Amino acid sequence: MPRTDLLDPRLRLFVYRQMIRTGRCPTVAEMASSLKAPLRNIRSSLSRLSESHAFMPQENGELWRVAPFSAIPTAFPVTVGKRSWFGNCIWDALGIPAMLGKDARIGASCGCCNLAMPIEVRAGKLLSTRGVIHIAVPACEWYKDVAFT
Amino acid sequence: MLLFRSEQHIARWCKQWKRPRGGTLSLAQGWKLAQLWYGDRLSQHWQPKTAAEAESVFRQVGLVGEFWKLTG
Repeated sequence: MPRTDLLDPRLRLFVYRQMIRTGRCPTVAEMASSLKAPLRNIRSSLSRLSESHAFMPQENGELWRVAPFSAIPTAFPVTVGKRSWFGNCIWDALGIPAMLGKDARIGASCGCCNLAMPIEVRAGKLLSTRGVIHIAVPACEWYKDVAFT
Repeated sequence: MLLFRSEQHIARWCKQWKRPRGGTLSLAQGWKLAQLWYGDRLSQHWQPKTAAEAESVFRQVGLVGEFWKLTG
């Protein structure tokens, strides 16, 4: 049985690698099967990994946030080559090419009028810097309601 | 955290949602923030940022003031 202190980093990287490779978040059962760990250990590990809010579980225990990825569709699709993911917000959408170090296209739009505002990252730079990012709540309150923030 | 065409569109959104205006940053600042925040996420030894480390990242991007404070 994996030691708890070794399981957390293994599980964290497993989830990220699966997310990157397949475009979807592994289920808790898939995590347990792949890492050969009991479900209760996986759930405990996910609970610890969620303390930083990098991972966030749904009510059913499956993950909906693997920052910067969203495990569920959002208004922030990100495409890298033939692969695509969703960011949780514009910061996270930018975080995907930042994390991967890849060129990317982000299908962003204006939060007010929904006008398409596609963003392209190439060779580590933004091709256009048009637009303003708005964060509705102060930093100290971000995790009181992550979905709204 | 949403992207808007302009300050006017932020004001319209805030009015519609009955929210006070929050913090803003340019898209260029957002890209730098994303690089500093997520650049090491796939490191085997990644650890969550402390409040002080997060504030340091904000400062590097030029995000200072009460809105961006996490400590004290």
